[in-house]
Amino acid sequence: MAYRWDFAPILDNWQALAAGIAGTLRLFLVCLVLGLGFGLLVALMRIARQRPLRWLAIGFIEFFRNTPVLVQILWFYFALPMLVSVEISPFMAAILGISLNSAAYSAEINRGGIQSIEPGQWEAARSIGMSGFQTLRRIVLPQALRRVLPALTNRGIEIFKMTTLASVVAYVELLHQGKLVASLNFNPLEVYTVVGALFFLILYPLVRATYALERRLARSD
Amino acid sequence: MYSWNFAPVLANSDLLLAGLWNTLALTFVALAGGLPVGLALALARLSGTRSLSVPAGIVIEVFRTTPPLVQLFWFYFGLPIVLNVEMTPYLAAALTFTIQSGAFFAEIFRAGIVSVDKGQREAARAIGMSSTQTMARIVLPQAVKRMFPAMMERSIELMKTTTLVATVSYADLLYQANELAQKTFRPLEVFTAAALIYFVTISLFSALGALVERRMAASGEMAAR
Repeated sequence: MAYRWDFAPILDNWQALAAGIAGTLRLFLVCLVLGLGFGLLVALMRIARQRPLRWLAIGFIEFFRNTPVLVQILWFYFALPMLVSVEISPFMAAILGISLNSAAYSAEINRGGIQSIEPGQWEAARSIGMSGFQTLRRIVLPQALRRVLPALTNRGIEIFKMTTLASVVAYVELLHQGKLVASLNFNPLEVYTVVGALFFLILYPLVRATYALERRLARSD
Repeated sequence: MYSWNFAPVLANSDLLLAGLWNTLALTFVALAGGLPVGLALALARLSGTRSLSVPAGIVIEVFRTTPPLVQLFWFYFGLPIVLNVEMTPYLAAALTFTIQSGAFFAEIFRAGIVSVDKGQREAARAIGMSSTQTMARIVLPQAVKRMFPAMMERSIELMKTTTLVATVSYADLLYQANELAQKTFRPLEVFTAAALIYFVTISLFSALGALVERRMAASGEMAAR
């Protein structure tokens, strides 16, 4: 006998799912800003002339890129409170894990972008009297960030998908709320189908926009 | 000041190693399944037959765009209801990660196949090869070499993604670490050790990939894109 789909209980619980979407968006925005911002900082450290800065950046990037983000979140949630005697909320643990992980990835993206700018640009800016920082801010970064924009948008989409991992430490986001609704109504099939569809509806326009951006940049370069 | 004590971790290292073994096993199963699925999806998407290319496109986009943890929950909790079968954590994970990595591999295959110069295909057809022969003998061998770096990166992503199975109680490294942390009341040492094991394993595979890449680069025809 074929299974009869019933979406009515989900409509009855739309408020729980809406609260989940709000939690997902909140976590996403915080991690996006922190992850990409810190990623730029780490990229600059990675190409700095001072060796200790460079090594620090390399160590950070390698460690956070070569360990799973779920392990990082759980480490911040369960292990960090042993070291520093502060309360780590699920929200904090998720922010730390996802932001630092994304920072490591976007640092490598930014580094690639900055290094793709030909040395002549640096030399020209320096020769008309700009300081190193001015050259970076006015000449190199605007061009570099434009080139890596599609890669950074992709990172943003990855961050959005990663926010579901916060459900593991019981942060209230869409998947966590879905789990709750499914366990109350015994309808995991419908709930997870809806949750998946919601993520798809939110993210697919972003994916298409990234494709379009890639094509436009490829044409203009 | 917290005093570190790794003795409970070392005493239970066999549990963590068993977890690592399961992590590797799951990664290789998903890889072995994901590569053929990816190739099939890529060929279907490029086939030019709408009844093949449209469904392949949908599978690829859906699995690339939705979070893997949602997919895993759908396969573990949802699918058994449709199919009326028992689902084990291992089966759900193997299925999810095979299809999911297949979707990502498909796009890598597609980019590789498209990157092979059109003249190659025309020349092969001109000397009388069928289109299957052209694909198998001329296009794919050249494409695979170009795809290698992206494939390697995806495989490593896959290994990291397998940690999600801990949430459906499959005894991978992360799950074992979680159990051990609760048993020994030493979460700091246990999770630090688990993170280090992942770090060493993944770095090792990355280094191996880089080595093969350099070997292939030395033999030419290794344009990055």
